Amino acid sequence: MAMKTNRKPMYQRKAFLIILILFAGFLCIQFVRPDVPNPPVTGDLEAPADVKAIIQRACYDCHSNNTNLRWYDKIVPIYWGVASHIKQGRADLNFSEWNKLAPADQKGKLWESVNQIIAGAMPLPGYTAVHTGAKVSAADLAVLKNYLASMVHSKPADTAVINAADRQYQYWQKNKTAVSKLPTAANGISYIPDYKNWQPISTTERFDNNTLRVIFGNDIAVKAIKENKIHPWPNGAIFAKVAWAQLQDKDGTTHTGEFKQVEYMIKDDKKYASTYGWGWARFKTPKMVPYGGSNVMFTTECMNCHKPMAAEDFVFTQPIKH
Amino acid sequence: MKALYSLFAVCSLMFAACSDNKPVELYNTKAALPSSPKYNLDGLKVITSFVNKTKGTASTLYGNDLALKSAIDGNKTVGANEVFTLVTWKQQDDDHWFGAKIPSNVESVEVIKTTSSGNSVAVNYQQLNGKSLDLKADTSGQSERIKYILGQKPSVLP
Ligand code: HEC
Ligand code: HEC
Repeated sequence: MAMKTNRKPMYQRKAFLIILILFAGFLCIQFVRPDVPNPPVTGDLEAPADVKAIIQRACYDCHSNNTNLRWYDKIVPIYWGVASHIKQGRADLNFSEWNKLAPADQKGKLWESVNQIIAGAMPLPGYTAVHTGAKVSAADLAVLKNYLASMVHSKPADTAVINAADRQYQYWQKNKTAVSKLPTAANGISYIPDYKNWQPISTTERFDNNTLRVIFGNDIAVKAIKENKIHPWPNGAIFAKVAWAQLQDKDGTTHTGEFKQVEYMIKDDKKYASTYGWGWARFKTPKMVPYGGSNVMFTTECMNCHKPMAAEDFVFTQPIKH
Repeated sequence: MKALYSLFAVCSLMFAACSDNKPVELYNTKAALPSSPKYNLDGLKVITSFVNKTKGTASTLYGNDLALKSAIDGNKTVGANEVFTLVTWKQQDDDHWFGAKIPSNVESVEVIKTTSSGNSVAVNYQQLNGKSLDLKADTSGQSERIKYILGQKPSVLP
């Protein structure tokens, strides 16, 4: 006769034990918490109330010093992801330390912000899946776009601007801008003087920051365009984008004024694997001063703004193929 | 196992559907010029680029090496064998960047070619209009256009 017993089968006890250990572990890791302090607000974003309300609701958890963590954000391991997003988000863009940016940079960050929203890159999709209240609706987006559009003004250039452009032009015309030693950015990429002999693949009028731009492609890039092999772009393809200040004359034509900068993207999926397969560099003024100085992290800025174009190999420009 | 595979299949289908939602438009096909013996941009360099906000047009002035050199010298004298080509497009909003305008349908291609004829230099002007690059027959106003194009100051390209 078998004896009656209250004891559960062996495997059930084992499962219970494992669950218990896992739960204990889960409780333990709750104490492994990176600190997410809310540092003081040095100077908050200034914008009309309706605009600010949208940004506060959708962006402030990661891009301000007023992070408002919900209970479910505080559960490890979710919390680890949240903390790292906040750390990185604040480092790249902080609406609570808005006063630390020059007015032109504030404007630039706002246009970039709205473009990141349009591209569906911000607020981070994984975040809005849980924090549904942070979603930016079509109506919200219209409010933001209208606000930016209201900041666009175009008027004929004043004499100071014209004179500055003229001075620079004469300097260049007499070939005095030629640099003897090629300046090099912190990531090792040097200014490439030959870009001006490359073919233009497109032009843009940027009314967000009052510049005109020409995008040049080197021979490899142009050949790839001709042969329909730009998805992805082949190694060795280089773009040079030149920006000038806009110079509007009285007849309504807007010319290229002062040269501002030339930027390069050099494709090499191995050498530049850590920066989306592209080498990035920007050189400012005819003196070709490397942007970012000695800080190699300047490329983060380039990459963040180009990131929504990942499906297009991080390239914004749609080349014009003749 | 079978269930796992079909789950995997469904997932990949879902991903494919997602990426299909946003078709990747690689080229600016609207702004492309048709290939035609009437103009040739090969080997030409950028002299300058400008926009007209009232008309909503964007233009790029190209030139061969001689033309570029003359333009930088202010086109004080016109030499032989210079080629200037001014391409003017309508503008369109840039789908990739709110805050930018890029070229759209081509409006005109104006070609200036200089040739030596005896002791002087002859300046030939042609205007090609629209997507089909129709040669403009009416020659009035040509000298104004030549003056306008040769009067463009090159962009600073250091
Ligand atoms: C859940 C956190 C989170 C939220 C919410 C969020 N962001 Fe971000 N944001 C990030 C992180 C992290 C980065 C760093 C780059 C990356 O990972 O894509 C970033 C980067 C950016 C950048 C690029 C910064 C630069 O110049 O390098 C912009 C612009 C931006 N976010 C705008 C916004 C806007 C606008 C909102 C609200 C509509 C928003 N973000 C909401 C986490 C967030
Ligand atoms: C605020 C957003 C933003 C940042 C930051 C940014 N870019 Fe871009 N970039 C653009 C846009 C938009 C275009 C498309 C052309 C245009 O409208 O000017 C572009 C185009 C380019 C191009 C031409 C090829 C292409 O992708 O279309 C190069 C080269 C380039 N950027 C280099 C850089 C480098 C180098 C940096 C960093 C030093 C940088 N960019 C930072 C927005 C940005």
